[in-house]
Amino acid sequence: MTAPPLVRPSPRRGGGSGLLRHVAGKVGGALVSLAAVVVLGFFLFRLIPGDPTVTMTRGRQVDEAQIAELRALHGYDRPIVEQFGKYVGGLLHGDMGTSLFYRRTVAELIGERVGPTLLLVGTSTLIAVTLGLWLGIRGAWRRDSPFDRASTGVALVGWAMPAFWLGMLLSMVTGNLFPSGGMRFSSTPPDFWSQALDVAHHMVLPCLTLIAVVYAQYQLVMRSSLLEEMNADYLTTARAKGLRDDQVRRRHAVPNALLPTVTLVFLHIGLVVTGAITVETVFSWPGLGLLTYEALAGPDLPLLQGTFVVLAGSVIVMNVLADLLYQVLDPRVRAS
Amino acid sequence: MSPLLELRGLGVHYRTDRGEVAAVRDVDLTLEAGQTLGLAGESGCGKSTVAMSVLRLLPKSARVEGEILLDGEDVTTMSWGRLRAVRWAQASVVFQGAMHALNPVRRVGDQIAEPIRLHGGKAKVSDLLDQVELPAAKARSYPHELSGGQKQRIMIAMALACDPRLVIADEPTTALDVIVQAQVLGVLSRLVAEQGIGLVMISHDLSVLASTCDRLAVMRHGGIVEEGPAREVIASPTHPHTRALAAAFPVVGDPAFRQVEPDEVRESSPLLRAEALSVDYRGRGGVVHAVKGVDLEIGSGEIVALVGESGSGKTTTARTLLGLRAPTSGRVLFEGEELPRSAKGLREYRRQVQLVLQDPTSALNPRHSVYESVAEGLRIHKVPGDEAALVADALAKAELRPPESFFPVLPHELSGGQRQRVVIAGALALGPRLLVADEPVASLDASVRGEILALLLGLRRELGLAALIITHDLGLAWSIADRVAVMHEGVLVEQGAVDQVLLDPRHEYTRRLLAAVPSTTP
Repeated sequence: MTAPPLVRPSPRRGGGSGLLRHVAGKVGGALVSLAAVVVLGFFLFRLIPGDPTVTMTRGRQVDEAQIAELRALHGYDRPIVEQFGKYVGGLLHGDMGTSLFYRRTVAELIGERVGPTLLLVGTSTLIAVTLGLWLGIRGAWRRDSPFDRASTGVALVGWAMPAFWLGMLLSMVTGNLFPSGGMRFSSTPPDFWSQALDVAHHMVLPCLTLIAVVYAQYQLVMRSSLLEEMNADYLTTARAKGLRDDQVRRRHAVPNALLPTVTLVFLHIGLVVTGAITVETVFSWPGLGLLTYEALAGPDLPLLQGTFVVLAGSVIVMNVLADLLYQVLDPRVRAS
Repeated sequence: MSPLLELRGLGVHYRTDRGEVAAVRDVDLTLEAGQTLGLAGESGCGKSTVAMSVLRLLPKSARVEGEILLDGEDVTTMSWGRLRAVRWAQASVVFQGAMHALNPVRRVGDQIAEPIRLHGGKAKVSDLLDQVELPAAKARSYPHELSGGQKQRIMIAMALACDPRLVIADEPTTALDVIVQAQVLGVLSRLVAEQGIGLVMISHDLSVLASTCDRLAVMRHGGIVEEGPAREVIASPTHPHTRALAAAFPVVGDPAFRQVEPDEVRESSPLLRAEALSVDYRGRGGVVHAVKGVDLEIGSGEIVALVGESGSGKTTTARTLLGLRAPTSGRVLFEGEELPRSAKGLREYRRQVQLVLQDPTSALNPRHSVYESVAEGLRIHKVPGDEAALVADALAKAELRPPESFFPVLPHELSGGQRQRVVIAGALALGPRLLVADEPVASLDASVRGEILALLLGLRRELGLAALIITHDLGLAWSIADRVAVMHEGVLVEQGAVDQVLLDPRHEYTRRLLAAVPSTTP
């Protein structure tokens, strides 16, 4: 009997072009979602009760004729399909309309508010992810130890707490230690370091609130994902090779357990921007969340549509990034 | 000079909530360099615990007593530093690589090189791959890009990385196809002969051990029940458990293992027929022809074995016969009529043709009681009559007696064999004409295999139930099938009566399969 060939040459997988097609597919899918967001945003907010022209004229004496004139000026008297066409046409040129309340372009307003939100959300996410992953890894490695039980319990309490309530509680408990509203005092000297210190001072409470409310999920996902990996046979292989326990953890268990967490973190960064609405409102943090709240209170339709598109868009973009990053990190995904 | 490995009065106890449980009791074993020692037994007999204790890889809840002398040095009293130095450099383990013993997201080359770097040596991954007959380029692969046999070779290459004197192979060929198994066993035997290492080989399959080992120890309930030169233990087993283990793996061609009475095989009318059946899969790399023009017939009351390696298309064929997949071309006839396409028609058809899966543990919902599991099919098909009586009847047919006592039991409270009986009872409850069983005993322990096979034969005798048994195990086909069909790369290369195909194979592939089956007669 002749032995069959031990290894069959495997056909090369479509390397570069396959990856390119994959990326193109993901981005295409994201664009479709974004288009759906635009459509949904436009029609959904038309359902909100309240006449936009009434918002504009709040607190002033106007008669019917003036309101009708305003309507005509902003095009609210046109058929809804025509309004939509005009809106989409504007969007394609980067024009998201003009805020009824602020009398400024939506793009300008959003541009102004993006910075503070990114600062707040970025800082708190960074801290929450670091804290959550570290606690999750420690808890899983010493499963059911007092540390594991206590940290899981604390995390769950934070996770269960409503952000607005926790925010108010924190500002009450800390008294006058930290400012509980705004981003800076007007009395602060204009040089960079004084300003930075002032902003950091203002950021303490909103940041703490955001962290306390979200870090639990990073911790719990990391913990369960590491617990699952710890039963894996390849860790026994690693131990048998003579690796120390911390080497087994650092080289094999933790990197693999991090994989599912990566997706979660990215998905969540998109969501946190939205989640900041309550926290920014409670602490009057001049970011996108507060802007959304103000637009909703109006209702300020053009502004609302603008913030909606930006918030939903950030979720979609992060989703695509998570997918692409996963491709780089996990060879198993590359193959399938 | 002291032997390579000597176990003296080894005992292992696990601390559990209900006190200490002894996993291994009073085991004495000796292995010289250049020898192969086989350790046989069913799952849970303690054979893997013995293997893991040699490098102290047992979980923290384990308490070890006795001595484990590796080159005369007691492993149980070594310091952690000394132990880590000994691990892999003096003794290494070949885990069941087809499973999850390799890190899924690191290149296999790096994983082979890891212990070499750790123990301070020069990386020579390509040499190691060469020893296990793999091309050096495979070092850049990830585990999921390799076949089961290739992964097992990687495990062996990894075990050899630091030139150990002792290698422990824990079920190194389980889950591999026979031809690949023969190749892997060949590699191991050659390495023992060429490099003079000592090999401890652990398996539940006596025939695998018989073809490779010098000495053989049979374990049961944590203790060794029989030990001696492999030939003697196989040829004249003294302990009944050894005999039971040997009997569980039928020898092809040995009339003693043939459970079908010659007069049972009778002319029968065709029940299920596949005509020129082809199934294509559309994948990213183009179209895959999984099944190519298969003609297969199962008569009423007939047991047909569909034999082939993994990837040969046998499972796809079965799924198409069950109407779970539409054929690309060709047709399936049940009692002369083509399979219905409508959901309702297919449901009616599936009542007649029931599926039994390989692993009863995952086939049963862990939160459903036996009663629920069996009654579910009855409810879906709205079978008239007293549900409890029908369930009891089905359980009784599957020889779970008294049936009522099994009603409230949950799957985890049952043994593997009982679980498979519950799965079969679930199928029987609907009064099918044909059972399609996909590797029905592959995940079961040796001693219960025979019972399940006897049950299938009994059902045929009493209910006239036909069966299509999908398996990679030629011995299983020999044991209970009337006819056997051999599948290779989507094509049915040979089919006919069992005696004819297995004793006088016509096709070259069938011959290759038969040659690769490890034999208990050295």
